[in-house]
Amino acid sequence: MEFLSYFGGVFEPVSLMLLIGGTIGGLILGATPGLSPTMAVALLIPFTFHLQPTQGLILLGAAYTSTVAGGAVSAILLKIPGAPANIATALDGNEMAKRGEGARALQLSFLSSGVGGVIGVLLLIFLTPVLAKWALQFGPSHLFWIAILGVTVIGSLDSKSFVKGLLSGCIGLWLSQIGYDEIQGTERFIFTDALTGGIHIIPALIGLFAIPQVLDMLAKGRNPQTIASLDVPKYSFLDSVREMIGSIRALSIGTTIGSIIGLIPGVGGQIAGLVAYDQARKFSPDRNKFGTGHSEGVIAAESANNAMVGPSLVPLLTLSIPGSPTAAVLLGGLLIHGIFPGSDIFQKHPEVVWTFINSMLIGQILMVIFGIYTAAWAAKIAKAPMPVMAAGVLVLALFGSYSVQQSMGDVHIMLALGVGMFVLQKFGFSAAPLVLGLILGPIAGDYFTNGSMIAAAQDGPWVYFFTGPLNIILIALVIASIVYSFWSNMLQGSGKTEATGEAAQ
Amino acid sequence: MTQSRLQHLIPGALILLLAAVVTWLSFTQQPAESFLFPRVISIAFIGLAIWNFARAALGLARVGGGISPQIAMNILPGLVIMFVYVFWAAKALGFYTASIIAFFAVYSLYDPVPFSSVKDWIKRAMVTAAFMAVIYGLFFMLLQVQTPRGMFF
Amino acid sequence: MKTILKSALLSVAALTLTAGTAPAADYPDRPIGVAVSYGAGGATDFQARIVTMVAGNEDILGQPMYIVNKPGAGGRKGWNWFATEAEADGYMLSAYNIPHFIAQSIKGGVKYSADSFEPIANWGSDPAVVVVGKDSKFNSMADLIAFAKENPGKTTTSGAGLFVGHHIAALQIEKACACKIAYIPTKGGGAAAMKAVIAGEVMAGVNNLSDAFRAREAGNVKILGVADLERNEFLPDVPTMKEAGLDVDNSSVNFRGLMVKKGTPQEVIDKLAAQVPLMFENARVVKRMKAGGSPMKVMTRDEVKAMWAQRQATLAELLKGL
Repeated sequence: MEFLSYFGGVFEPVSLMLLIGGTIGGLILGATPGLSPTMAVALLIPFTFHLQPTQGLILLGAAYTSTVAGGAVSAILLKIPGAPANIATALDGNEMAKRGEGARALQLSFLSSGVGGVIGVLLLIFLTPVLAKWALQFGPSHLFWIAILGVTVIGSLDSKSFVKGLLSGCIGLWLSQIGYDEIQGTERFIFTDALTGGIHIIPALIGLFAIPQVLDMLAKGRNPQTIASLDVPKYSFLDSVREMIGSIRALSIGTTIGSIIGLIPGVGGQIAGLVAYDQARKFSPDRNKFGTGHSEGVIAAESANNAMVGPSLVPLLTLSIPGSPTAAVLLGGLLIHGIFPGSDIFQKHPEVVWTFINSMLIGQILMVIFGIYTAAWAAKIAKAPMPVMAAGVLVLALFGSYSVQQSMGDVHIMLALGVGMFVLQKFGFSAAPLVLGLILGPIAGDYFTNGSMIAAAQDGPWVYFFTGPLNIILIALVIASIVYSFWSNMLQGSGKTEATGEAAQ
Repeated sequence: MTQSRLQHLIPGALILLLAAVVTWLSFTQQPAESFLFPRVISIAFIGLAIWNFARAALGLARVGGGISPQIAMNILPGLVIMFVYVFWAAKALGFYTASIIAFFAVYSLYDPVPFSSVKDWIKRAMVTAAFMAVIYGLFFMLLQVQTPRGMFF
Repeated sequence: MKTILKSALLSVAALTLTAGTAPAADYPDRPIGVAVSYGAGGATDFQARIVTMVAGNEDILGQPMYIVNKPGAGGRKGWNWFATEAEADGYMLSAYNIPHFIAQSIKGGVKYSADSFEPIANWGSDPAVVVVGKDSKFNSMADLIAFAKENPGKTTTSGAGLFVGHHIAALQIEKACACKIAYIPTKGGGAAAMKAVIAGEVMAGVNNLSDAFRAREAGNVKILGVADLERNEFLPDVPTMKEAGLDVDNSSVNFRGLMVKKGTPQEVIDKLAAQVPLMFENARVVKRMKAGGSPMKVMTRDEVKAMWAQRQATLAELLKGL
C-alpha cells in the first residue's frame, strides 16, 4: 500500500495542470486521424526538458493513456482508427454511429477504456514483481506462435466472405514483407524508390481507412439528397453505465486479453484490441451481431487497448525492457532525467515512480470525464457537411502520413494503398484483415528468422519451436482457433446461402 | 448479373496476377533465407487467389456491389485533385498552399449549392481558412512539424 | 488570416529569390531536423535528443533542432532515405553511427557510403561490451571462449543487427579466438538483444556499454569484457578484450555524431562545424548525458573525417571475404 502515500504528488498544482492538459491534449491528438500514441508521446518529449522528472513523466503518461482512448473517437464517428489499437473499435462502433447511436458508442468506449485502464494500472501496482518474471518467459518461438494466433483471426474479421477475408490478410502479410528484411538486412520486393523504407503502419492505416472513406463520400456526388451527414443525438450517460456493467463478459474478456498482451514485450498493444474483439465474439451468444453495430464489440476492443497500457510498463520499469513502441519512448523520457529503470527503481526513486503510476490511475478517470466531453464536441464536428468532411480528411491524411517520418514516399504509399483499398472494398474485400496482416507479418516473419537462427545453434527448429509447455499451450490455442473458424464458417455458410438466395429472388 | 460477374472477374484476375508475381519473386530471389517467410505467405496467397478467381468465374462472388459508372463519374474529379495534390502540388507548392487549394477545390466541386451564388463562395473560402488555421495551429505551432515549403509555404 | 498568408507568401517568395544566391547568409532561419535511423527511445535517439536540446540558444544556432525517427533494418532505412530523399540544404541533418553505416556500405545493398555524407561533429563513443545473464556459468571472457572452442557454433550471442558495432565486435572476437560463435541479430535493436540475454534466450550478448551499465546496475547481467583500447570510466572493473587475451581493438566502438548530405553549401557546413561542438559541450547537455549514463566524446569535423577514413580502411579489411 506504499503507493497511497505518494498520491499527494499528483495533486500539486503544476502536476495536476500537466495531468489535465496532457489528458485533454492527448484526447485531441488521439482523435485526429493520423496521429498515433507513439508519435504524440515522442513529439511531447522536448517539452519535458523544461520540467522536473516527475512532472515530465506525468505529462507523458497522461498523453499515452488518453491518445490510446482518443483514437476511438475518429474510429467510431468516421471509421478512421486513430491508431492500430482502435481498428477493432471501428468495426462495430462505426455501424452504431451510422444507426444514430454514436453518442452511446462513444460513452461506452470511454467507460470501458477507463475500466480496462484502471485494472491495468492496478495490476502494475500490485503484481509487478510476479508479472516481470512472467513477461520474460516469452522468447522468439513464443512470439512467433502468438503472431500466428493473430493470423488465425484474420479470416473471420469484418468480412462477409471467408475467402476474401483470408485473401485480404494475405495481401497485408505480403505488403509487410516489402522493404529491408529487418534481421538479414537484404532488400525484398522493392519496385520503386518509395518502397525502400517499406510500408510504415501509420501511413498505411491512414490510407487504408481514411481514403476509402473520402472516396465513398465523393461517390455520392453533388447531390443535395445524399449529402446528409452523420447525426449524433444525445444519449443518457447513466444508460451507458448500466449497459457497460451489464456487458461484464465482454468487459472481462477485453481487460484480461489486453493485460496479457500488454505484458508480453515485442507484440505491443497494436493487436490487443483485435484479439479481444475476436475472443469476445467467440464467447458471445450474439456472435452473429458482431460487425453490425453490437456494443459488446466496442466494449471488448476498447477495454483491451487501455488495459494494455499499465502492464506494458511492467517490463519497462523493472527490467528496462520496453514492451511497446510507446513504452520505448517513455524509457527515453526516463533516461533523459537520469532515472534508470531496474528492479530497484521502486526503492531508489519511489517518489518519481509512484507519483507517475498514481497519476496514470487518476489520468484514467480524468480521461473518462474529459473523453465524454470531447466526444460531445467531436460529435458536432462529425455533423459537418459531407464535402467539408471529405476535404478535411484528405488534408489531415496528407499531414498525418507525412509527419510520422517526414517522408513524401510514405504519403505516396498512403494514397496508392487507399485508392487500391477503395476498389477492393467495392468487391467485398475489407481493410481490417489487411491491416492485421500488415501488423502481424513482421512479427511472425522476424521472430521466425530469429528463432530459426537460435534453433540452428541449439537443438534444431523442431525442438525449439514445438517443445516446452508455453509453446505447446500456444500451439493448442492456434489449432483451437483454426478449428473454431472453420466450424463456425461452415455453420454460418449454410445460413448465408439461404440469405443470399432470398436476396436473389 | 453478367455485368456483375464480369466486374468481379477483373479484380479476381488482377489479384491472381499479383499473387503469381509475388510467388515467382519469392522463389527466385536471393538470398533464400530472407525469402523463407515470403514463400510461406505466397503459397497461401496464390492458393486463395485461385480459389477467389474460381468463385468469381462461377458467379459465386456476390459480396460487394462493384463500381458502377455513376460512382466512377462522381469520384473522378475528386480523384484527380487527390493525385495532383499528393503527388505534385504538396511538394512543389508547399504543404499549406497546396492544402488550401485542394480543400477549397474538393469542397467547392462537391458542394450541392449552385455555383452562381456569391454568398456560398465566400462561405466556402471562410471554412477553408478556418480549417487551415486549425491545421496550422496543430501541426506547425503545437507539434512543430516541419513540412515541405516548395514555392510558397 | 489573409494578411498572415500574404506576408507569409511574400517572405517565402523573398526567401526563394535569395535562396539561389546566398543560401547561408542567414542560415539557419527555421528549425533544423535531425534524422535518427533508430527507433524513438533507443540509445542513439535519446542521446540525440539530449545533445540537440540547446540548439535554439542564441550563442549556438538560434534555431531548435527536432528529431525524426526512421528506424529499420539496422539503420539502413534511415540512411538510405537521407542519402536519396533528403534535401542538401542544411535543414535536415542525420545522426551517424560508426561503424554501422560504413560496414553496411562495404557489405553492399544500400544506397550510401562514407562519400555520400559530410561529417559535422561527434558527440559520443559507446564501446561494445560482452554481457551474460546474472546466473550464467560464465564469469570471464576466458570461460566464454573456452566454451565456444569446445562447442563450435553453439554459443548463441545476441546483438542489435548485422553489420552494426555489435556484429563487428563479435566478428573480431571470433577472429581473435579462432573459434566459432553463433551471432543472433535480434529484431528491435539493442534493447531486444539485451532482453534476450536477461531472459536466457541466448547464452551471451554483445551490447552497448551504456545499456549494459544500466542493466548491471539493475542487477540483471554480468559484464565480461569491453571491446575498447582502455577500460571505461563507467566500468573501471571490467577488463578490455586485450587484457582478457583477445586481440580486439576499438573498431567496434559506436561513435555517434551529426552529419549532412554531400552537396550541402560549404558555408552551411562551416557554420555547423563551428557551432555544433559548442552545443555538445554545453554544461546542461553534459550534465544530462552523464545522468543518462552515456559516455561522451566530442570530436571536431576534421577529427571525425580522419576517424571515418581510418574506419573505412580497417572495416574493409575485416569484412573482406564475408
